[in-house]
Amino acid sequence: MRSVAVVGTGQTKHARRRDDVSQAELVREAADAALADADMCAEDIEAVLIGNMELFEGRGLPELWVGGGAYGTGKPVMKVATGGTSGTSTAIAAFHQVGSGLFDRVLAVGFEKHSEGHTQTGMALTDPFWDRAVASGALGNFALSVSQYVAAGHATEDQAALVAVKARRNAARNPHAHLQMPDLTVDEVLASKMLAHPLRMLDMCPQSDGAAAIIVASDAVAREHNPRPAWVKATATRHDQCYIGDLDRRLLSMRTLRDASAHAYTQAGITDPVRDLDVAEIYEPCTYAELAWYEALGFCEAGEAGRLVEKGVTSMTGALPVNPSGGVLSTNPVGASGVIRVAEAACQIHGRAGQRQVERADLALATGYGVYAWADVVVLGSEP
Amino acid sequence: MSTPDLAPLGVAGVGRSGPRISDPRSIPEIVLEAVESALADATCGYDDVDAVVTASVDLFDGLTASNIAVTEVVGAVMRPETRIAGDGLLAAIHAACQLWAGAYETVLVVAHSKPSMAPADLTPWAMDPIHLQPLGASFTACAGLQARVLTLDDPDAEGRWAERAARLSTLAGRPTSPAEVSASSVVASPLRERMRAPLADGAYAAVLSRGEASVLLRGAGHDLCAHSPGDRDLRHWDGLTRAAGRAYAVAGIDDPADAFGCVEPACLYPHEEDLFTAATGTGPDTPVSPTGGLFGGAVPVGAGLSRLVEATRALRAEPSLRRVLAHGTWGPAGQGQALTILEAA
Repeated sequence: MRSVAVVGTGQTKHARRRDDVSQAELVREAADAALADADMCAEDIEAVLIGNMELFEGRGLPELWVGGGAYGTGKPVMKVATGGTSGTSTAIAAFHQVGSGLFDRVLAVGFEKHSEGHTQTGMALTDPFWDRAVASGALGNFALSVSQYVAAGHATEDQAALVAVKARRNAARNPHAHLQMPDLTVDEVLASKMLAHPLRMLDMCPQSDGAAAIIVASDAVAREHNPRPAWVKATATRHDQCYIGDLDRRLLSMRTLRDASAHAYTQAGITDPVRDLDVAEIYEPCTYAELAWYEALGFCEAGEAGRLVEKGVTSMTGALPVNPSGGVLSTNPVGASGVIRVAEAACQIHGRAGQRQVERADLALATGYGVYAWADVVVLGSEP
Repeated sequence: MSTPDLAPLGVAGVGRSGPRISDPRSIPEIVLEAVESALADATCGYDDVDAVVTASVDLFDGLTASNIAVTEVVGAVMRPETRIAGDGLLAAIHAACQLWAGAYETVLVVAHSKPSMAPADLTPWAMDPIHLQPLGASFTACAGLQARVLTLDDPDAEGRWAERAARLSTLAGRPTSPAEVSASSVVASPLRERMRAPLADGAYAAVLSRGEASVLLRGAGHDLCAHSPGDRDLRHWDGLTRAAGRAYAVAGIDDPADAFGCVEPACLYPHEEDLFTAATGTGPDTPVSPTGGLFGGAVPVGAGLSRLVEATRALRAEPSLRRVLAHGTWGPAGQGQALTILEAA
């Protein structure tokens, strides 16, 4: 594939409700920000990809209405929808479309406006014969998987609470982030409402209204739009079986993320991710998931993830800062959340991350998680 | 944007399940049949496929992330899968992009829908919820509006459309007379029930590759028009003109009037064939939908990919056709448009 890069990023202000804008206007807000960041005008964009989970808003084919908001009118437009990985899959699709040679400049935008729908109802529309009555929605699924993870001795609730504190304190440096809890403590996390054992309220991600956009450019034009493009070094996607009974010990094995990251690391020449990567933006729907992802991503051995966070290895000043943005635990407009991961990773390479900028970012990781343990992995770098 | 010089891709295999007006099987069972037939046609197995691009629409399936239902039968377990939530021809175009990018060597494309599960027309939920849905707008209503606009300059249109619908239905194996079409009930004036291709359940699959094949994919293009019919000139499918221009540039076609042995438009209604012909610039002597097009059964989401399957079969059976255009459209009054250009090797 010819070299492609992320040359612009843009995000809305994310919040529980964005009653001030329609879905199309929300998308426009992110698109405008990305265009400005890349010093482009809308006419420069040749094609548009949209990521969204339409049933969360109770809609169908929302790109028909929202496409104009993404400056897609009169242009090639497609929508990608793969659950939580919608955003990262949309970004990867944009990489492939630019990589194909068909386009030099593509806008990829993800959005969700949960406040206009009912997310749990949308998530409950699973297999009507087997899954719908027993394991629908994020919370129930994660409670089962996390229980196995904890029972196997891989994490304690104190260690999970440290992840919650890290995320929300990082988010306080991110002006786009939904949750702003700069003074959150472990005790407050442990005192928050139990939702489904062992998951408490502050272990979980919020539901956010928001949109995020990236502009992907070919090697022929990338430096016209950004002096330090974020080059795509590797991508990988893995999907898995859908029935929870077929994926026993899901969080413990997480074979999709293990396989996808191994594949991506090989492409990008990464042999020791903690040493080689400068920053990571991972899609962690709950605190325990972040710890499980550390293991799957090769940041540590099995059962060592808790100690990684205790030692501060993944804090802003650690060897590998994870989620300087505050992550999904602080902001979660589902169709946008994966785009946010890629945008935040790119932003770090661009050196435009403001107060959440890590000291030196030449190699950045972004991941997506969705549906039944589906995984996307993206590696961006400062060199093609 | 410069015109890219892209290598032809092989259409190594195609398959389908249906179309059937009401298939009693589950979605995975329907999709499995299409996938297995495409893989058999390509003389390959699941292990020979590097990645999958599926097409489905959650609202139509009543399932969130409705590709979950088919992950196993399309062979996407522990493999890359991209789900395009739109017409199946878009999935084929994205698969072509993956291949042109060199990301994969072989990609399986699958599209499905089962409209018999839905109790009523769901398309109002795909209309602008602020300005259009409250007015009762739907894809059917917008098709009627577009047809009505066309009759303003063409008072003989309705009779011609009745003849065309009868011809297409007959070609598709349902002998029908123009009088029967004209006597059928009005669904969205001036469109009548038997002017509409029958909705059907089904799935379509294609194996695309960077290798050689008897049928080659030479060009592709797609486009999205303004959403509101009030923001468009409904006398034309401008989006298809733009999509065709992009595809012709890739395929090196300068004179579309003489370029195709036949064309396979995804027209739900006969008036759309007029719009298609004008927008693509295909000649008046070019055969259109020789096997009846969507009048054999229109599978939502699958419709565009069904035309690619049909075009591939036509080129294999009759290589002298040289080149066939396969088309897909979705949304109100042809808002979304896609086409691919296939050639005999």
